[in-house]
Amino acid sequence: MQHTQGIPSGKCREMAARVAMILLSLCICGAASAELRIRVTQANGKPLPGAVVTVHALDPAVPAAAPIKAVMDQIDLAFAPDVLVIPAGSTVSFPNSDKVGHEVYSFSSAHPFKLGLYRGTPRDPQLFDRPGLVTLGCNIHDAMLAYILVTDAAYYGFTAADGTWTQPELPRGKYRIEVWSPRLQEPGQLLQREVVVTGEHVAAEIRSDHALRPPQLQKRPHSWDAY
Amino acid sequence: MVERCLLKLAATLLCAAALADARATEWDASLDMRLVAADAPTSFADGGLGVVRYGDDRNGLQLGRARLALSQELGDLLTFKLDASAWGQHDKNPVDLTEAYLQLHPYPWGDWRMRVKVGAFYAPVSLENRAAGWESPYTLSSSAMDSWVAQELRTLGAEFKLEWLGTHSGHDFDIGAAFGVYGWDEGAGTALTRSGFTITDSQGTLFGRVGRPTGVMPPVNEYHQFDNRAGTYLGLDIHYLDRVTLEALHYDNHADPAAEDVVSGDYGWQTHFDTVGLRAETDAGWTAIIQWMAGVTAVEPEDFGLLRWDFATRYVLLSRRSGRNTLSARYEDFTIRARQAFALGDQGGHAVTLAYRFEPDARWRFTLEWVRARGFQANRAIASGEPPFATMSDVQLAIRYAVSNH
Repeated sequence: MQHTQGIPSGKCREMAARVAMILLSLCICGAASAELRIRVTQANGKPLPGAVVTVHALDPAVPAAAPIKAVMDQIDLAFAPDVLVIPAGSTVSFPNSDKVGHEVYSFSSAHPFKLGLYRGTPRDPQLFDRPGLVTLGCNIHDAMLAYILVTDAAYYGFTAADGTWTQPELPRGKYRIEVWSPRLQEPGQLLQREVVVTGEHVAAEIRSDHALRPPQLQKRPHSWDAY
Repeated sequence: MVERCLLKLAATLLCAAALADARATEWDASLDMRLVAADAPTSFADGGLGVVRYGDDRNGLQLGRARLALSQELGDLLTFKLDASAWGQHDKNPVDLTEAYLQLHPYPWGDWRMRVKVGAFYAPVSLENRAAGWESPYTLSSSAMDSWVAQELRTLGAEFKLEWLGTHSGHDFDIGAAFGVYGWDEGAGTALTRSGFTITDSQGTLFGRVGRPTGVMPPVNEYHQFDNRAGTYLGLDIHYLDRVTLEALHYDNHADPAAEDVVSGDYGWQTHFDTVGLRAETDAGWTAIIQWMAGVTAVEPEDFGLLRWDFATRYVLLSRRSGRNTLSARYEDFTIRARQAFALGDQGGHAVTLAYRFEPDARWRFTLEWVRARGFQANRAIASGEPPFATMSDVQLAIRYAVSNH
């Protein structure tokens, strides 16, 4: 009668121990990681969509994000996308989807390169192994301008239409958050803030102190810029 | 002689280009037909003194422009460009070149970049004629200043341009400075003092002349060299992102006003001018342009002494593009003042241009334009006995079909 529902007492203790272990591990995991939610706003309080968010671990050390293979296309005399963020060590290919030739180049110190005049897809992707901002241009079509942000951050992404970006799980600790956008007027077009992640959900708002630069004009036909 | 050299150069470059890489040739062709309803005397382009492109003797269907343009890459850093057109009003050559030049475009170093043009091309004067073929995306007809530039000015020489690409390094501005050196431009100013400022989209050609030999006003021969002097220009352009462009140019052909061409009997026209303009664009599709030009042209024929005309013109243009529709309006005024006792060449007037453009796709373009010019022109009384004051108008419906391989 000391056994309930026919379970032997030894097995009952074993099951209780397992449940305790699972609960303990859940508690430990819950204590070590949290969700980080960043909201980036303009000086007027409106959200800033499309900004690059990078999260650099200060304490504890978290390894940088793994390299990826990315694509920077050229469509209708424009780079697509106009902003790319990649971990250091990543490769980027530069297909030309236009019928006209392009001469993609960058003179940025993080990765100066010239692809020469080409159509279609150039043979070898470019390796971006140093963190920094790489500004792209086309030596034939002046209006073509794009950016590749090479980062050594542990986490990265873009703000959504409401200006937010969320990292669902990261270890508790101290982080430096950087926000970059070509439209920011701050030095280096960069906003920075340190946050200490202690609870399960951490929210931080980062606000620009200056009015944004106007975006590139989209409605002007390319044929308007022959001279 | 010069024409033969240029033709040989163009032919050689084209052959070299074709051999280099046939796949890298880009071509554009277009046919622009006009339905014209004019209330104006015979146009300057047909040898009269009408300031608009078509007089009422041209009412009906007209060829606006048939154009073929080639762009040939010669390796990574060199491009050859050729623009040929038929205008239906030029009597000397049914088809002729408006531009033919080589452009060297080395890669930037740091924030700096250099461009070199050699051949025949437009000086950086216009803020409205920014589209292929030196056309305006806003109106059919160019402003008075750009109509004059199109008729009489072409850089037959070289242009060096140095640019600071600030926007490529996080700044708000790009800045460029251009220096041009050229010859064969002793005729610049001739058409200005004979026909005055005009409102037209037709362009003078490299081997052509302005006007037709009707007897009222003789045609003007352009682009010949006989005083062995080089002209120069210095231009500055400042861009705030891709929103605002400020342009300034000082142009001086340094011609010898006493020089006479023993073959044609033409004199050197010493012409210099300054121009400053601003163009601003917005997200909502608005474009505003304001530009000013003032200068002097002088000639010193034997037994007449130095004859001098001061000229000035300015315009303001407002345009709104919404989807495939563009609505534009331009107001301008223009004056030419003779500085000698007789009034030959005197002109003063103003013009209004309204244009609606519909571009359903990259191939078709429809434009309806109304131009009204009002003012006096001394030459109308002196040369043909007509009243010097007149109001002229052109209504044009233009249908353009364009094809290209890119």
